[in-house]
Amino acid sequence: MSKELTAFERSDGRWGLRNHVLILPLHSAFSATARKIADESDGAVAVSHDWSGEIDGDFDRIVKTISGFAANPNNFATIFITIGTPNELGIIELARKHGLSKAEVLNVAELGSMGKIAEIGLQMANSLLKEAKAVSRVSAPWSAIKLGQECGGSDALSGITANPALGVASDRLVELGASSVLGETTEILGAEHLLAARAITPEIGAQIVETVARYERSINYEGIDMRGAQPSRGNIEGGLTTLEEKSLGAAKKAGSAQFSGVFEFADQVTKPGLYFMDTPGHDTEQLTGYGAGGINVIVFTTGRGTPTGSAIVPTLKVATNTTMADAIPDLIDLNAGTIADGLKTLNDVGGELFDLILEVANGQLTKAEKGLHHEFSLSRMYNTVIR
Amino acid sequence: MLPILMRKVLILNEKDNIAVCLVELAIGEVIGQDGLNLTIQSLIPRGHKVATAAIAKNEGIIKYGERMGHATTDIKVGEHVHTHNVLGDRLSTEQVV
Repeated sequence: MSKELTAFERSDGRWGLRNHVLILPLHSAFSATARKIADESDGAVAVSHDWSGEIDGDFDRIVKTISGFAANPNNFATIFITIGTPNELGIIELARKHGLSKAEVLNVAELGSMGKIAEIGLQMANSLLKEAKAVSRVSAPWSAIKLGQECGGSDALSGITANPALGVASDRLVELGASSVLGETTEILGAEHLLAARAITPEIGAQIVETVARYERSINYEGIDMRGAQPSRGNIEGGLTTLEEKSLGAAKKAGSAQFSGVFEFADQVTKPGLYFMDTPGHDTEQLTGYGAGGINVIVFTTGRGTPTGSAIVPTLKVATNTTMADAIPDLIDLNAGTIADGLKTLNDVGGELFDLILEVANGQLTKAEKGLHHEFSLSRMYNTVIR
Repeated sequence: MLPILMRKVLILNEKDNIAVCLVELAIGEVIGQDGLNLTIQSLIPRGHKVATAAIAKNEGIIKYGERMGHATTDIKVGEHVHTHNVLGDRLSTEQVV
């Protein structure tokens, strides 16, 4: 192996590929204050969301997402802004259980004004950032890498260039002992039999098939005709005709390794190997779910281009075609379109991507990080009920 | 095998009854590569599919060696294969007959 992997070792043995101080509002109303603290600090990041404490069918899913995201190993520390309700304090406790060692709390009920919260929050953030800068990367095992696979704005070349190139890189990482996760249940519908055949046990294979069947039942139950939505209009313009066709191409991201298990949305990814996670096809909801599951680097293949990134998880963009890669160089980290241009082989580009994942893991900033593309979306399954 | 650079279409699997167009193909253009000998029947944009075999109504469309949907009408060799003559088998209100 040419280069070694270095990362930040957390007290519970997990590994961070970044060393962020995250400002996290536990109520939507504190989103602007979180942003203000991050913007005025020496490099903290913030996310905002639209959850205001509703207790409905999505409560557990939202608690799991926010607590997991707070505890992502790429965070050196997380500063929570909370109104102090038992449910919000419960999220902080859960984050600690997931392994977050530095959790700081700005309690609005105790501190009162937003001005005071912003002032104390800024001091807190800068002091934590100083602490974070004093921590160095150390040599890390391959199991430190938890790779999330994603595709968005797929075109006809996705399944021929960028996705199989990611498959090559993923296979190499899995072989070395890293974790790699395929998601987007919508986008394996039609290819699940191929993935199930690669499961290490028949039970895991059956779980993959059932995860898709569960999704299909919910869509059929609601009487939705997916034509026009999946594949999307952009996919269709790009030459993709059916959802099954899109899925057959999307599944190529997972390479040829065996599947070691199936995760529910935002489950903690703790073991090495290739896994499937039940996530929505929505780009930022799924990106957020990966972050909540402890995934610390994401490769996002795209045919139409997208700025989508995460505040805490470096997200590499791989273009499926050269036309788009040339048009938006500020968003694309690697062009796999060279495979269709006949200039490079799949293995060449897969190798380049592997090297790039390692560089990014070691600290090289992705285009999405440079552009400060910090998207965050909560995934919901039900209508929101106001308390 | 021709290098990919000299190909107009890409066959992904020997079981396939379609090929992916690497360039935009005009009506009347002749494809003679990888054992194919077909004449393009309608304008096909880059990245879209061309039928490399005659496909009867309700017959499966095979890509990557796998079924990706079915023909909603008879499709001739050299025709554009897309949403106007293909439907997915799943999650669309019109089911396979």
